[in-house]
Amino acid sequence: MRAASTQMGRFLNYRVAGWGTLLIVLGILPWFGISSNLTRLLFTALVWIIASVAWNLLGGVTGQVSFGFAVFYGLGAYAAAMGINGGLHPLAAFTISGLVAALASIFIGLPTFRLRGPYFAIATIGVSEAVRVVMTNLSFTGGASGYRIAEHGRFRPLEHYYTALGFSAVAVVISAWIHESKFGLSLQAVREDEEAAADIGVNPLKAKLMVHLLAATLTGIAGGVYARYAAYIHPQGVFGFHTSVAILLMPIIGGAGTVAGPVIGGFVYGLVQEELVAAFPQFHLLLYGALLIVIILFEPRGVTGWLGRLRGFIERIWRKSATASVG
Amino acid sequence: MDAADFVNLLVSALLLAGIYAAMSVGMTIIYGVMKIVNLAHAGFLMLGAYYVLELHERLNIDPLVGSVLAFPVFLLAGMLVHWTLVKRIPVSDQPTLASLLLMFGLWLVLQNIGYLIWGSSDRSILTSRTLSSMHLGPITIPTVRVIVFIPAVCSLGLLEFVLRKTWYGRAVRALMQNRYAGRLAGIPVEKMARLTFGVGIGFAGAAGGLLAQLYSFSPDFGHGFLLRSFVIIVLGGLESFWGAAAGALVLALVETFSILVLPAGYQPAIAFSLLVLALVLLPGGIAGIFAKKHRWA
Amino acid sequence: MPPLLSVERLTKYFAGLAALKDVSFEVEEGQICGLIGPNGAGKTTLFSIIAGSVSPSSGTITYSGKDVTRWKSFQAVRAGVARTHQITRPFRSMTTRQNVEIGLHFGRGPASGSTWGEVAEILEGVGLGRVADRPAASLCVGDQKRLELARTLAAKPKLLLCDEVCSGLTETEMNEVLDLLRRIRGRGTTILYVEHNMRAIMSTCDQVVVLNFGEKLTEGPPLKIQNDPAVIEAYLGKTAAD
Repeated sequence: MRAASTQMGRFLNYRVAGWGTLLIVLGILPWFGISSNLTRLLFTALVWIIASVAWNLLGGVTGQVSFGFAVFYGLGAYAAAMGINGGLHPLAAFTISGLVAALASIFIGLPTFRLRGPYFAIATIGVSEAVRVVMTNLSFTGGASGYRIAEHGRFRPLEHYYTALGFSAVAVVISAWIHESKFGLSLQAVREDEEAAADIGVNPLKAKLMVHLLAATLTGIAGGVYARYAAYIHPQGVFGFHTSVAILLMPIIGGAGTVAGPVIGGFVYGLVQEELVAAFPQFHLLLYGALLIVIILFEPRGVTGWLGRLRGFIERIWRKSATASVG
Repeated sequence: MDAADFVNLLVSALLLAGIYAAMSVGMTIIYGVMKIVNLAHAGFLMLGAYYVLELHERLNIDPLVGSVLAFPVFLLAGMLVHWTLVKRIPVSDQPTLASLLLMFGLWLVLQNIGYLIWGSSDRSILTSRTLSSMHLGPITIPTVRVIVFIPAVCSLGLLEFVLRKTWYGRAVRALMQNRYAGRLAGIPVEKMARLTFGVGIGFAGAAGGLLAQLYSFSPDFGHGFLLRSFVIIVLGGLESFWGAAAGALVLALVETFSILVLPAGYQPAIAFSLLVLALVLLPGGIAGIFAKKHRWA
Repeated sequence: MPPLLSVERLTKYFAGLAALKDVSFEVEEGQICGLIGPNGAGKTTLFSIIAGSVSPSSGTITYSGKDVTRWKSFQAVRAGVARTHQITRPFRSMTTRQNVEIGLHFGRGPASGSTWGEVAEILEGVGLGRVADRPAASLCVGDQKRLELARTLAAKPKLLLCDEVCSGLTETEMNEVLDLLRRIRGRGTTILYVEHNMRAIMSTCDQVVVLNFGEKLTEGPPLKIQNDPAVIEAYLGKTAAD
């Protein structure tokens, strides 16, 4: 048992070291004079990672697939935009983004979490589209023509970059903690069998509401960070169905229910989408649709699943050649 | 509002209900037999629209005929989709997230193939009927709505006939009620599922062709109609065709008459809100499909 | 001393059909109380109502002197009433250990901050130590039955509701499980035990309640039940029909 726990400890250390290295690399990368275009790409990817990691907490870990995360992203974006225009410090504005999205998650979750699986998914499409229509018509947010942020001072891309990096690090830490915690265990139990979970003491509604709230807060912050960077937002963008779809696709393609999967998914999506959108506007969604089909049919753990298989394959070859050389 | 206005609205609601019913029936039959929430429905509606458009522009085939011709083509396409994709996911008596996401992936693929082929600009099908209208006393009806209504209702009648009077129809109804018992009774479930999926997609393609004569469309066409189809089948209790017809009527009435109380900009939100309300407030109310499974002795 | 559990005039209709009609009985603390009856007698419905997963149409349930008629299942577990499922429902993608950990955390709580030792103890107790780190989906039927029990025990119930823990087990496995139930009772846990297998009931229970067509036929100690003509007719008549 002792051996097992030290082995586990070493495993944890490897993972912490891996994440730490990634964070440091991303942290010092801008000092090596990378192009402003690359900074923009990385920034976009980091914002997507926040939302992707957040969605995974609800969709991957807890098994509640939502097509409605654009609501939180959009509300967060508008809340931050209005806060900044009202003279708030950006961090205060992002806090409001998180709070507004969290509040919305309760209003949406209370009725829709009575529904199971696919019905919940469909209901979230309805909620999300209804919110988009309302936002398109609200006059105090500028309606369909959008909302502009007038921030004083020079545009400093690195400030945005580090904000996104900071929040995505926080998101990954929260996600890793949930995967190890007893709260996370209860979420997984709800995913596997809601009634059986209730039969050993888990309150499924409370678990779902709490993780929804957490995911919404993070997604709202992501929206806020994006809004401040973009300086102009409109309902068809931040509240658009394609935003919900992106937030759903990234973690599933990366690997739902894992810590690394949503990060990989967000990274790939952020980088590929930005590049492909310019060249072939529709090609990336075609690609992601096809990937989604392949993943549902063959590898539910997405990219992390494929990486795992690859590692297993390499290890087998390694072992074979090792035994061969010994023999 | 005077009586003539009211009758006008009522008539247009009824005409709309017919096309709505035809639009959602493909989804209902697939859900009923296979418990699959077919998000790709939207993609096939869109392809149906472009299919009819191409037939009209290239071969000068009347869009009504085109819609009828869409049925067999989409039926085969549906069977192909079932054979290549759908049969690979485990069957279940409850709708599963796997099947939902699979169909969603297919929708994304279809939609973006649409963008690659036809671009993103809006298209529409113009015939001599498009702008003409019929006058019955104080009532004015766009001709095309009537012309589209008739095949829509006929196709529903035909489906009803098939379901009541043929072996296939009885097998479908048996499977909708109890898949397991149906299998025991010797119904070849897999073959039936493939055919049913084909029929469902066939209806989607034909309905897409009909809708294309009423509205302009782009590859994102079907998005709004997909959600409307959901509303209809949820209102209708998800598994019954008469329920779906009633659901279509309710939605059409609510949408049509809401212009009296809601600003036009908010119109699209009606279907979406109705969807959430129907899902949340009618749990088991109509057909009891998401009534909690009770644990029996 | 008042009984730990008392059920009074419990009635449940499903779509107009009575699954339970006016059922009343009591379970004393420290007993193993058997609940038997032919198929469809309402055993599992009664069970689900007591465990809080189904609410009754009428009647009351009192547990530890409190009215708990319409509680939710997670409330029941936290108050010390936990059930197993006849058809096992493990959290399939999680390991055996994690399955048990959930019960430990969300039931009446672990004994100390670290749960590792306690989980190991529970797993050893039911004989699952060797498969602790395997995904629950990969366990054989007997082990899944044990896991079902282990997970429920981890919630530390005062009243354990056991639903057919012996069905599908071999003779040896069954004897092991029955021994386990006796040990659990020996530690002061009261058990309400639904079982089809008459021998299992007769060899473990202090008291037996017999249901037939949703109504209580009779109750009493096993020996008396075994020789009751009404029970023989309801039960053995059915066995003969088999």
